Amino acid sequence: MIILKDVITGYPEGEEFSIPEARFEEGRVTAVIGRNGSGKSTLLRTMAGQLRYRGSIRLDGEECRELTPAARARKAAYLPQMLRSAQMDVQTLVEHGRYAWHGALRRMTEKDREKVERAMERAGVTAYRDRLLTRLSGGERQRAYLAMVIAQDAPMILLDEPTTYMDPGMQEALFRLLRSLAEEGRGIVTVCHDLPQTFSFCDRICVMAEHTLCACGTPEELARQEELLRRTLGVSLKNTGDQELVFPWAVKR
Amino acid sequence: MKKAVIPALVLLASCALALLAGNSAVSAGRTLEVLLGRGSATERLIVLQVRLPRVIAAASAGAGLSVSGFLLQGSLDNALASPGILGINHGAGMFALLAALLFPYQAAARGLMAFAGALLVTALVYFLSAVSGLSRTSVILSGVAVSALCTAVSDVIISLKPETVADRAAFQLGGFASLTVSSVSLAAPVILAGILLAAIFAPAMDLMALGDETAGGLGLPVRAVRGGFILCAALLAAAAVSMCGMIGFVGLLVPNTLRLIRHGRSRGSLLMCAAYGAAFLVLCDTLARLAAFPYELPCGLILSLMGAPFLITTLLRRRKRLGLQ
Repeated sequence: MIILKDVITGYPEGEEFSIPEARFEEGRVTAVIGRNGSGKSTLLRTMAGQLRYRGSIRLDGEECRELTPAARARKAAYLPQMLRSAQMDVQTLVEHGRYAWHGALRRMTEKDREKVERAMERAGVTAYRDRLLTRLSGGERQRAYLAMVIAQDAPMILLDEPTTYMDPGMQEALFRLLRSLAEEGRGIVTVCHDLPQTFSFCDRICVMAEHTLCACGTPEELARQEELLRRTLGVSLKNTGDQELVFPWAVKR
Repeated sequence: MKKAVIPALVLLASCALALLAGNSAVSAGRTLEVLLGRGSATERLIVLQVRLPRVIAAASAGAGLSVSGFLLQGSLDNALASPGILGINHGAGMFALLAALLFPYQAAARGLMAFAGALLVTALVYFLSAVSGLSRTSVILSGVAVSALCTAVSDVIISLKPETVADRAAFQLGGFASLTVSSVSLAAPVILAGILLAAIFAPAMDLMALGDETAGGLGLPVRAVRGGFILCAALLAAAAVSMCGMIGFVGLLVPNTLRLIRHGRSRGSLLMCAAYGAAFLVLCDTLARLAAFPYELPCGLILSLMGAPFLITTLLRRRKRLGLQ
């Protein structure tokens, strides 16, 4: 669980963002939405310990800034938006997900190998485990990185726009994977831009606007705050209730 | 294990060739006898006092500079990074010049002063870049600025005391002609220790290849690791430069050539870099001794003459394989 209280964060000599109070729990998929530059990625980076902050962020009961990078990585895995095409094969990449558990000096254990195998299966990258990242399509690379984050085995997973570069089918598969991870007890926090997808698949949604976290709730609760959505996102949403649709939520005029 | 056989054999073969080749004929069998503690006094002098220290110096300098370049290129994410770009060579050059000015009759002082200068410049670059965030850009900019400063100070010394220039020229070309046993016994153990330390922590470099944010998310203390690699690279380069002067090109040539032809984990690449770098500089030095006999060419010249076409050919072959032509 990640609990934020009176957090002020941002980049040196840049804008500051405030989060008066927020809680991200295990067993749920929570989306962070908002316009470009609203501070979604900044919030995620701060929770991952990559930015300095004032106030309190507690990861699994411990203050984020007081944890070592490895201890933090065991509690919250983080996947940034920009992913590199490094000269390494997929399996090696996924094995790096175990770094926080065994460090640079110790060898992979049998348990580590099992976690890596399982993560590759779940992300659907086993078939191209020997291929170099530089030879993968954008979507395949994104899935390989997702496998790495799953292998990290942290109770919370923070993803910054994980559907970038994915085709619609792959995006749907990704959201189903996130849902199944949440059902197993992991907490997912993901930055998203596609509102119908977000409202259709996520348990909770937080809205960043005007340099602050201004609302959090279930999709239904937020949809009822039509004025807030129009002010912060420029649109509002409606549940069509059509179960044949992959994304039953739609953007209203 | 199989992958280690070829570089090890290449290194052994080049060292054997360097021990056997020379102006005085000492056969392979006699050389082996000398190494086993037998042989005449003259043979022992030639092999143990002249050739062996030189082979150890060339091998350790080649390995040290190659690994130094490898560490800098990996941790700064810049294929052009090398000991030269951090100002290490220029710092060492400036202090070698100061040694010629202050202690003109003490040859050993040059090596020691160059070593001190390289370390001092590294500390200065590290301090400047740490103050400005220890980012890739700040490290390189600090290095370029300190290099320019060292070059300017060197030019001032030469302008005021032109008699120091002979020492500076020899140092800039680089080579092992004026090698002293004391400089080898100081620098070679430092290089060996530096390479072992770098090899132990090399897996962290695999994570750094994924970018700072991803590596940080995996639990790597990115700034501390980058700082450690840069310091280790500086130590290796300082030790090498104190023995052989400014043979900087090997630090660019060997890691970049290996990167073009091999993909693998950093620890294996680092050890290969050390082996091939050592073998290459030993061969270059052997050629430098024999190519224009009875004169000796500076090893740095041979290195550039052989290395540059080799790097260009590898680059073009790689380009063809990638279908970029």
